[in-house]
Amino acid sequence: MTTAAPPLLDPRHSYASITDRIVEISLRRNFPFAWVAMVGIAFSVVGLMMVSILWLLSWGVGVWGINIPVAWAFAITNFVWWIGIGHAGTLISAILLLMRQPWRNSISRFAEAMTLFAVANAGLFPLLHLGRIWKFFYLFPYPDTLGLWPQWRSPLVWDVIAVLTYFTVSLLFWYLGLLPDLASMRDAAARRWVRVAAGIAALGWRGSARHWQRYQMAYLLLAGLATPLVVSVHSIVSLDFSVALVPGWHTTIFPPYFVAGAIFSGFAMVLTLAIPLRSAFGLQDFITARHLDCMAKVMLANGLIVAYGYLAEDFTAWYSGDLYEVSKLRDHLFGGGAALYWAVMFCNVLVTQALWFRRVRTRPLPLLLVALVINVGMWLERYDIIVGSLSSDFMPSAFGGFSGTFWDWSLLAGSLGLFTLLFLVFIRVVPMMSMFELRDQLFKERRAAGSGAPRDDHPRTHAEVAPPSGPLHGVLAEFHDAQSVTGAARSARAAGYRDLDAYTPFPVEDLPEALGLPPTRIPLLVLACGILAGASAYFLMWYSAVIDFPWNIGGRPLNSWPSFIPITFEITVLGGALGAFFGVLAGSGLPLLYHPVFNVPGFERATRDRFFLCVRTSDAQAGPVHGMLRALGPIRVSEVRGPPP
Amino acid sequence: MASPFGPGANAVARGVVLLVPLTIVVLSVAGGVYWRSSYRTGVGVVLDQPVPFSHKHHVSGLGIDCRYCHTTVEESSTAGMPPTETCMNCHSQLYTDSPMLAPVRQSWETDIPLRWNRVHEVPGFAYFDHSVHIAAGVGCVSCHGRVDQMPLVSKQHTLFMQWCLDCHRHPEGALVPHDKVFDLGWQRPSGAGKGAEPSGVPLMDHVRTVGLTSCSACHR
Repeated sequence: MTTAAPPLLDPRHSYASITDRIVEISLRRNFPFAWVAMVGIAFSVVGLMMVSILWLLSWGVGVWGINIPVAWAFAITNFVWWIGIGHAGTLISAILLLMRQPWRNSISRFAEAMTLFAVANAGLFPLLHLGRIWKFFYLFPYPDTLGLWPQWRSPLVWDVIAVLTYFTVSLLFWYLGLLPDLASMRDAAARRWVRVAAGIAALGWRGSARHWQRYQMAYLLLAGLATPLVVSVHSIVSLDFSVALVPGWHTTIFPPYFVAGAIFSGFAMVLTLAIPLRSAFGLQDFITARHLDCMAKVMLANGLIVAYGYLAEDFTAWYSGDLYEVSKLRDHLFGGGAALYWAVMFCNVLVTQALWFRRVRTRPLPLLLVALVINVGMWLERYDIIVGSLSSDFMPSAFGGFSGTFWDWSLLAGSLGLFTLLFLVFIRVVPMMSMFELRDQLFKERRAAGSGAPRDDHPRTHAEVAPPSGPLHGVLAEFHDAQSVTGAARSARAAGYRDLDAYTPFPVEDLPEALGLPPTRIPLLVLACGILAGASAYFLMWYSAVIDFPWNIGGRPLNSWPSFIPITFEITVLGGALGAFFGVLAGSGLPLLYHPVFNVPGFERATRDRFFLCVRTSDAQAGPVHGMLRALGPIRVSEVRGPPP
Repeated sequence: MASPFGPGANAVARGVVLLVPLTIVVLSVAGGVYWRSSYRTGVGVVLDQPVPFSHKHHVSGLGIDCRYCHTTVEESSTAGMPPTETCMNCHSQLYTDSPMLAPVRQSWETDIPLRWNRVHEVPGFAYFDHSVHIAAGVGCVSCHGRVDQMPLVSKQHTLFMQWCLDCHRHPEGALVPHDKVFDLGWQRPSGAGKGAEPSGVPLMDHVRTVGLTSCSACHR
């Protein structure tokens, strides 16, 4: 982060105003009519999708237009398109986190949700393509009665594992990031059932320094794991094609060009969602013109890589002199495939050049138009790669056309409807922006600008409940800002108190050290889980391919270790991510829905704008603790008591 | 504002957290146990038949050869079920008024075949040929068990693909001398290796094991 950059957040914001502004959306009793209408439309499209799926299951995949030679068409196009869109969410949440790009904070939450919904949609299509969807579990290695194992050398099997790993890691990443914000929601809600629902979902998060310490480490490690994962997923998707010998598929440029294309289309979708969202909910404060500018620049950069991919593909085809490659190229440039090819070039190469202009990048409407064109263009690109290549491969006598049937189109429309529906539900029920990361960003921006903590004393108008009168758990001091609570923790330790905890609305850097917390062992856990999972995956493949079912595949060695790398890698990441997620929960003692500190009036501001230091003590020794804490200049000092025994 | 949860909520939350993986494990194990149980596979389960035909009586007691009834087992994919005429070869003379045999006589009179219930059902997508197995020297007993000792026949093996593959990978255990294929009680002489004729001539010479685990051996 360059300190010279102007702040992304309006300096008039405070921790409370950020929190209240965003959490208020999820807590509204009524949503605008436009939202209700869109849910209705999306719901009816999902109904159409359900009918299409029932029809497909009743009659088989023949209801689609697929046949030989075009055996893959809409379903695989949709799969690649959706999974590509998913990539932007992980790029924003993981890669931009590692690169310390603060503009990711406002968009990461809904971009991650977009990833989840896009990957869920993507996963649906290969499943439907199976025809017998109820046999999906054949894809997994399990102790079956068939005596068979998945074919580990096939990119299609890598793909299953990669997509599932990707979905799982994205879900863990998203949910982990959501915990503190669900806690904010729990503490801000007035209605009891919302507090109960959000409270269960937040697993009892209370912003303890012990939570934050593990949380931050796990989040960083998850980002580190997700970064190579996101690159691997679309590389593996591209290998579904490039490992085959079909002209138009068999090219080494595919993995990088697919990854760039994925990010390109993903950012187009993020913008397609962000621009209407910010105006519908008045979030221009958080998604500023500079955010749009940054996203457009990423899109432009990836668009240029994609354009280079097209060029390299065509050049290689021409330069190879291979009869089939050249004829495929000729068909693209001038032949029957020209209309589709040039439409792709127009959408993905020509229109993208508009992003060189700052006026396009920073203005919502032109940018939205460019993003929509790119969304369409990237679908057409995948359609061209899949249908275009399959329809004319080697023997002209075996060429064949394809045209989508009603059921092809209805499932494409249905998946768009499902995506829209899931997204509409998402913006309704959970905070659509990462509030704690925005509070943290505000803290850092104000510190960089040399201004102190924001002062903002809008108390919430909750009815105060008399605290219970049970035995004393500890004494709690409330502060305005992060520096004060860190200083107070240092003083308390210097005064000889050891059993301390602090509760803050965002992770405070020096706090674990000031409280004397030991370093977290999460990195070790993640390493162990990753190694264990990866080694188990390799062992399983080795055992099944060498010992249990030795099978000659094109004369390759039984232990084809290069083919076993992708799955070993995916499962390593999966193991590490599961270790990180459950390490945070187990290490922080979550779920813990009840904690005595929740009984303190005003503690709900720990997830909004206040900083608390808690000294554990008993009734007998409470006197000196009170005195020590009062001397530190808190807003107030309260006693933490449980219910009477 | 006070927490919406009381101290009891923690135990409930922990219980749920433990219960979810436990449920998944229990359901998975239960599914596997069910799939392999005789309730699903029918192993050892006697089906209702129009006539309680005793293989034990006819084979062990009377010494009738398998092929007397299952006439096409050596040259066809199916072993063949005997027509009512085969039963009547004897039963026109023996037990002619036994109530147990009433359906046989009725079939004979009406010319409507008996409808036996199939004990060994191979699914349509698996190609199975009896004659190939007989010619290779696979004894009947390998798949059908000691039919000669069953008063009422039941399935002895699951017919899981895993079970087929076990033998296709290591057929030597099932191969017997060619004149012993229909001898259900034949014992491999001690000292003779699996897949070896008692005289020491290897049985495996004529069985090409390379293709036996190919998908298209059974799924054509």
